[in-house]
Amino acid sequence: MLHEKKKFDTVTKTIQATPHQGSRKDFLREVMKLPGGEKILECIQCGSCAGGCPTRFAMDYSPMQIIKMINLGMKKEVLSSSTIWICSTCYTCSSRCPRDVGFATLMMALKNKAIQENMVKNPINSKFHRYFFEVVNKYGKLHEPSLFLKLLDKTDINGLRSNLGLGLRLLKKGKLEMRAKKIEQTSILSAMLEKTDERGTS
Amino acid sequence: MKYAFYPGCSSQSTAKEYENSVKAISEVLDIELVEVPGWNCCGAIDAVYSFKPLYSIALAARNLAIAEKMQMDLTTPCSACYFTLSKTNSILKEDSEKKTKVNEALQTAGLSYNGGVKVRHFADVIFSDIGLQKIKEKVKAPLTALKVASYYGCFLVRPSSICSFDNPEHPTHLDDLAETLGASPVDYYGKTRCCGASLGFTDEDIMLKMSKEILLSAKNAGADCMATACPLCHFNLDARQKDIESHFNIRIDLPVLHFTQLMGLAFGIEPKQLGLNRNCVSPNNISPLAVARASNKT
Repeated sequence: MLHEKKKFDTVTKTIQATPHQGSRKDFLREVMKLPGGEKILECIQCGSCAGGCPTRFAMDYSPMQIIKMINLGMKKEVLSSSTIWICSTCYTCSSRCPRDVGFATLMMALKNKAIQENMVKNPINSKFHRYFFEVVNKYGKLHEPSLFLKLLDKTDINGLRSNLGLGLRLLKKGKLEMRAKKIEQTSILSAMLEKTDERGTS
Repeated sequence: MKYAFYPGCSSQSTAKEYENSVKAISEVLDIELVEVPGWNCCGAIDAVYSFKPLYSIALAARNLAIAEKMQMDLTTPCSACYFTLSKTNSILKEDSEKKTKVNEALQTAGLSYNGGVKVRHFADVIFSDIGLQKIKEKVKAPLTALKVASYYGCFLVRPSSICSFDNPEHPTHLDDLAETLGASPVDYYGKTRCCGASLGFTDEDIMLKMSKEILLSAKNAGADCMATACPLCHFNLDARQKDIESHFNIRIDLPVLHFTQLMGLAFGIEPKQLGLNRNCVSPNNISPLAVARASNKT
């Protein structure tokens, strides 16, 4: 716990020492337009979000700190934080927030923003979303083995060994379909993509 | 009762046994499930949404548009699909600009969506539409003395603005269901804590730790097994339990059943028909299976 306290104090000092960045209001305004960002000014820094967060232990900044940082216009730090990727969108924070800040929903939007602005800290995180999309856009459904193979780091021997164990376990239980089942009209997927494609995401 | 049935992608691979058991108990309870014809990926918030937000909504809306023509409530046993499809309904209701764009996309598939489909989790259908009284009448092999730790996870109950049929922090419906089946519900710390979800793909250590804490809190509270209502939660807690054990060098050995498998056992349905042979942590030692086997012999 002491370690946690120290980490918190250090991060808080960094936030306090950071002058309001030139584009502070710009970033804040951008975030307020995103789903989940509407009520960000309502935050009273009570810490209910950080206290209940099950992935807080692995984040560089807690949810409460991220909100403060958005208010201070710390765009680069927010968009390149691990927090936005480690959030598992479990909605515990949103359920407990006394000011109705939509933190979990906002994290999904910030993931998208970090990808668009090329600020992703660890490439594996954005890769997961890209590959998931690619698999779904190819078959119309998620085919887990395809996603898994795309994500597999072929240079990590230990990782390969443990993944092999999982793969064999699933195979033995008849839970791995090696051939992807496509939806009948896969052509509609690209048509739908074209109609919905947003700037700079492809 | 008749519903448009949305199975979700995992029903065809890692969670086949979930679908088997859903169908088996539906037969007993006179629930007619009509599969949404030509369904596609639900849209997978947060996986696809974070990369292509509008495309993700369009994927969800296509399923809903097909279901709208069926003029029935839609039900799905997957909590993540339940969340995505419900969330899509609420986005399209609140944001007319998105609704227009999504409908333009749907037109390319010859469809349109007006927002008229009610999305229900299969657990909600069981609990609210069928009701515990009718379920009790169907119990042939009560799960007497079985201690069940019901696991709610996230999207079954949160966010409550969308997934609203039980309390987001202190849900009870799966516990009440377990009790109706003759089992003893176990109260434990981890019942609404997140299993780690898709972090298993990107940040495995974090997911393993999160699922470990849930499993251990259930085990330490004296549970004989857990009951889940989501294929991804089940995957992390059951299929990956062995990885958790070796990662932390501990022994857990806690069977994790889909809640529908548990219902099926109490209804006296053959374990194989419920796909219990596909569960990774062997459920053979928990008492109802022993009971089922014994009653088969006589």
